[in-house]
Amino acid sequence: MTSTDRNGHRADGGDAMRSLAERRGRAGGRLIAALADARRRTAEPVGRWAPQVAVDLGLPASAGLGPASHYADLAAPTGRRHVRVCGATACFAADGGRHLGQMEDACGVVSGTVADDGSVSLQTVRCLGYCYAGPAALDGDSPCTGPTLAAQVAGAVPRSAPDIPARDATGDPVLLSGVLAGEPAWRTWPQVVTAGTSEQVMAEVAESRLRGRGGAGFPVATKWAAARRSPQTVVVANGDEGDPGSFADRLLMERDPGLVLEGLALACFACGAREAAVLVRSEYPQALARMRDAVEQAYSDGHFGSSVHGSGITVNVRVVEGAGSYVAGEETALIAGLEGDRGCARPRPPYPTEQGLWDAPTVVNNVETLAAVPWIVRRGGAAYARRGTPTETGTKLVCLSERFARPGAYEVELGTPVADIIGRLGGGLRDGAVLAALQVGGPLGGFLPPDGLDVPLTEAGLAAQGAALGHAGLVAFDDRVEPVDVLRHVWGFAAAESCGACSPCRVGSRRGLEIAEGDALPGPEYGRLLGVLAQASLCAFGRRIPPAVRSLVRAYGDRLAGWDA
Amino acid sequence: MSSGTVAVTVDGVHVRVPEGDSVLSAVRTAGADIPALCHDDRLRPAGSCRTCLVRVDGKIVASCVTPATAGAVVEVDDVRGLRRDAVELMVSALPPRALDTYDSELARACAASGIDATAARSPGGRGVDTSHPYVHLDRDLCIACGRCVRMCSDLQGTFALTLVGRGADTVVAPGRGGSWAESDCVACGGCVDTCPTGAITEPGAAAGITSAVGPTGTTRTTCGYCGVGCALDVVAEDGRVTAVLPARDGPVNRGHACVKGRFAHGYLESRDRLTRPLVRRGGVLEPAEWDEALDRVAAGMRQAIADGGPDAVGLISSARATNEENYLLQKFMRVAIGTNNIDNCSRLCHSPSAAGLTASFGLAGGTDSFDDVERTDCLLVVGANPIEAHPVVGARLLQRVLAGAKLVVADPRAVGLAHHADVHVRPRPGTNVALFHGIAHVLVAEGLIDEAFLRERATGLPELTALLADYPPDTVASITGVPAQDIVAAARLYGRAKRPAIVYGLGVTEHLHGTDGVRTLANLAILRGAVGTGHGGYGVNPLRGQNNVQGASDMGALPDLLPGYARVDDESARARVERVWGLPVPSHPGMRIPQMFAAARAGRLRALWIVGEDVCATDPDANRVGDALDACPLVVCNELFLSETARRADVVLPVASWLEKDGTFVNFDRRFQRVRRAVGPPVGVRTDFAVVHALAARLGVDLGCPTPAAALDEAARLTPHFAGLSHDRLDREGAVPWPCPHPDRPGEATLYLDRFATPDGRAHLAAAPYLPPGEQPDDDYPLILVTGRGWAHYNSGSMTRRGANLDLVARDVLDVHPDDADRFGLRDGEPVVVRSRHGQAHLVARVGDATAPGQVFSTFHFPAGGVNRLTSDHADTVTSCPEYKVTAVCVHPG
Repeated sequence: MTSTDRNGHRADGGDAMRSLAERRGRAGGRLIAALADARRRTAEPVGRWAPQVAVDLGLPASAGLGPASHYADLAAPTGRRHVRVCGATACFAADGGRHLGQMEDACGVVSGTVADDGSVSLQTVRCLGYCYAGPAALDGDSPCTGPTLAAQVAGAVPRSAPDIPARDATGDPVLLSGVLAGEPAWRTWPQVVTAGTSEQVMAEVAESRLRGRGGAGFPVATKWAAARRSPQTVVVANGDEGDPGSFADRLLMERDPGLVLEGLALACFACGAREAAVLVRSEYPQALARMRDAVEQAYSDGHFGSSVHGSGITVNVRVVEGAGSYVAGEETALIAGLEGDRGCARPRPPYPTEQGLWDAPTVVNNVETLAAVPWIVRRGGAAYARRGTPTETGTKLVCLSERFARPGAYEVELGTPVADIIGRLGGGLRDGAVLAALQVGGPLGGFLPPDGLDVPLTEAGLAAQGAALGHAGLVAFDDRVEPVDVLRHVWGFAAAESCGACSPCRVGSRRGLEIAEGDALPGPEYGRLLGVLAQASLCAFGRRIPPAVRSLVRAYGDRLAGWDA
Repeated sequence: MSSGTVAVTVDGVHVRVPEGDSVLSAVRTAGADIPALCHDDRLRPAGSCRTCLVRVDGKIVASCVTPATAGAVVEVDDVRGLRRDAVELMVSALPPRALDTYDSELARACAASGIDATAARSPGGRGVDTSHPYVHLDRDLCIACGRCVRMCSDLQGTFALTLVGRGADTVVAPGRGGSWAESDCVACGGCVDTCPTGAITEPGAAAGITSAVGPTGTTRTTCGYCGVGCALDVVAEDGRVTAVLPARDGPVNRGHACVKGRFAHGYLESRDRLTRPLVRRGGVLEPAEWDEALDRVAAGMRQAIADGGPDAVGLISSARATNEENYLLQKFMRVAIGTNNIDNCSRLCHSPSAAGLTASFGLAGGTDSFDDVERTDCLLVVGANPIEAHPVVGARLLQRVLAGAKLVVADPRAVGLAHHADVHVRPRPGTNVALFHGIAHVLVAEGLIDEAFLRERATGLPELTALLADYPPDTVASITGVPAQDIVAAARLYGRAKRPAIVYGLGVTEHLHGTDGVRTLANLAILRGAVGTGHGGYGVNPLRGQNNVQGASDMGALPDLLPGYARVDDESARARVERVWGLPVPSHPGMRIPQMFAAARAGRLRALWIVGEDVCATDPDANRVGDALDACPLVVCNELFLSETARRADVVLPVASWLEKDGTFVNFDRRFQRVRRAVGPPVGVRTDFAVVHALAARLGVDLGCPTPAAALDEAARLTPHFAGLSHDRLDREGAVPWPCPHPDRPGEATLYLDRFATPDGRAHLAAAPYLPPGEQPDDDYPLILVTGRGWAHYNSGSMTRRGANLDLVARDVLDVHPDDADRFGLRDGEPVVVRSRHGQAHLVARVGDATAPGQVFSTFHFPAGGVNRLTSDHADTVTSCPEYKVTAVCVHPG
């Protein structure tokens, strides 16, 4: 993409920093890890150390400063003891956000700062994946959850962090057979890689009509085909489960990492890819450890490496840790991060399947998406296509938040009525609380009113109600939280996680928060702001904010009168 | 790049744009004016500001990042409201002064859509960075569009800037984490020129003026610093330069410039500027009237002729003066004085290029246009540091490398492009010829030669092949210090490329055997068939040091050559000139610059006119240059300032700078471009052109050529090379390369497509053996000193030391390798005394790995340091170009 100026010159050049990083042995690919490593060793502001990290990798100093100041984990000052407290939706719904102040008291520092002596630091993060037991925190990598969170962190009471409750509601789980029944992974791959063809895998997945489970819902086989089996193709397993309210990917990565990796292997096989990466968000330290172990195990079992199972097929997989950014889960931003850049969305075209990681065709698939692939290949695409609804096939993990009587992760058929999920499976709200609004699909998904739950859990069904399937996290709000505070929370999330790459979202997310936090009802500016955000933003993050807040206002009805714009 | 076009409908208007262009391009082609605040035609699009919104086939898109596809239906007017809202939202995060301080792209976009300062609601408070003399940052005005970052990375290749923070806190910052002044910024001015809001500005009267919204009434001229030939637009008010902007349609610079051309014009108004002639009375230089000064010069020249004949008068012409001035000066010497004693500073830099390229190919210039050079797939950069010395060319070469071209750098120092090289060979200074033979040996041995080309278009292969037998990589490794496998790797990269190009600098020429260096470097292009074909490679291209060093020679400011390179001892050539001039031309070659100094010391040269050169600062063995001036009865100096040379003159004539006069320059790839008067010279100051005429008149000679345009017209009548050139044509076309025999046909950007300009029409391989340099280290002088340019200053520094460039780099430093620092007890940042067999200099050490052990490097921009007191009078055996690049020295703590 270029333009010809009036002198006939065209600015054909690419991103020179990217080219430079590539010429330096793709040093950018090692940059974020090196910055994270340096961050762990210092409490100093990024300007004092990040430039040198880049220089030490043979990159310009600016290559270090830009990302280090962008990613939350790198920008946050880090003491010898680093505590991350969740400020995201389910934990907010659990107690209206009161735990944040309690945690500051317990740690003795304000969030986002480090104690003068460097002993302790506190960072507010958005979602640790303990939405079923919130509020939650990670003290180092050690989780604490529940109403006594601050006391646990202070050492006053024992720590508590229950495992994710997981249940199957289908009778024939695609995703949870390993988690629930201990069925081993890697039952499909050895046979496929030695005796199967990539065309067969592609055909089964095409027939299954599996769509991406990360929120965008793009047909998987179409994405794979778009990479056109270039030998340079890279497949990325996207484990940056950023949507607060969802912990499905965490469940799979921690409890059945082999299944995810087997799906990744099959995806590589179908795409002809020899290289793959697994990106795991830093907020999931256990998942990161389990995935690393599982990759190592897969290599030693011959599932990865050169000539896998003697097939002549090569698949090499590495695990990469995220650095704290919601938008960095968006596929172009994720690729930017893997290249060592700031985690900002990039304009499309070019699409990643044409020019992605270091310009190689790149397929980015969500963890849950990949976890469905072994079943599809083993049982056949047609069998999968019979699941769910005719237009949205298969099963989905839905995550119910702490407010429910039976919170946890459930595998359901797509199309299951939402009312069924929260009533029959979730048991309604705990302790007789009354549902005020149900958030579906994360802060940028949407909200349903208590009387509007007779909706099938499908993208089409939810979209018809102004919501979105997203990651299918279900966060219940009861009357503990004022509606306007929920509105402010959504805007706060948007402002905190906007990557800043485009002006509508960069400015609009902050301005929206200012308006929401104001004393007055919004004026006409607010409507124009929503219009620009929705229509002009570079990526889905900004474009999804207006429908999300609009659905919230609808869900609360009169209680947010004046906020409809 | 695809070559077709696509048809698009924009609000019902059918337009065609090149395939691959954006919808924005189509919208503009259709004549619609929409804001695009993150867009700059010089840069890849980013899709950041989202103000260029249109509807394409029913969908709202940012037009700058949306490809124009065939048949697309684009709606522009219907989306006006949304575009306005997008600008309004962006403005809401800015303080009101964002709209009313500068005539910025943002302010214009707001005015066009009826957004006033009440929409700007930020209280500001993000602070400013005013640490840098030329680049100020006001963070409150930053819209995080990243144009500055792209300019710095993608166009300039410095990577000094980055966006920091995220979301609403995103803002540009210098990338080292400290202030702008502490950053990697080299003040190219790219960020200043592209900033759409005034967040990044040049302080002072230039604040907010950019090429995007430049004021009307600017003067288009050509930069008077290095030989790149950047087109600049000068903004002036009340006779003073306000700002100098890079011309976006500049044929070489394409909207880019460097710290010198862009910002270093403060010298124009320096208090040091000479505005009255000076005449030595009773041993003291005193102000005088022009009449007295000129009378004194005329009388002195007459006396010199009376005492020693016409050849007792010499003139050192100026590579900074215009072609027309150089033309007039050589004509003055030849017809008013009657001598060929005229030379110019190409003697000190690229005379070996002129001699070597002429011997190899037939003409005294680079073989190809730079536009072609940057299409190469393998660059061989030899003895040049364009990143600092020719920054715009350096930036474009780096762009090419980052876009995928292979890069071989041959240079003793690890600076600039060497950091990006696929192979960096570091020959010991003075061993180039051996290195080139080593590479040639591999080309021949591995069959990486173009046999058909060699058979049909070249000569000398048997002789060269026989010689190359003596230069296998191992042997060359022992001479040059370059590992044999690196020689092989370099040869293979160059030899296997489809379109290799050679770019070189003074590291090739300023040697005892500099002409051999040029010729043996040219051998590589000939062996490879990479010259004179237009497609097989882009030849051999010298980076000329000064703005018009090519032109000064082209115009015949040389002792043995007439305008257009006809030899003075060629009777028919002389006759052709005499017919036009109506006056006889002396037939024997005159003295070269070093010979003039020697003749002065011997009492044979009795009048020396030096135009715009500070020979005491820049010529080698400066102590002996001073002796020459002291011995010469009349030394006349045209100068802007009281230079080291002017201090020793008997008459100093204050003259105009390049911003104050009309004419033309010829840049490094032979393009004639116009120089135009942007401001008048100070009262009392005259152009060199006027001074020559006045002096000729006093000597009773009318040189004709009343105007610069007439002078070029006359030069065009002397030689077919320039026959098609005129000021009128250059005013119409911008830049025209020579040879240019026809007024209605383009000049020859690529030379030798049909035949080489040698007498036999073939390219001549040179079988010149390697010979050692003139200076050798020994126990007393164990280190080799190399001299050259740094990025912030220019030659003697007369123009760059009078302004804020001094804040950027305040002195010459001596680069020393840590091993040598240990060995000689030198510490970083501390003063050192450097001694050679010829003199001594006082510098400050900078310890680092830019130089190899055993070598030191210094710039020569601060004459007070005395670097050129160190250099020797060894000179190229063919052209007398000094051996600046090899001086044996010792260094001690100062």
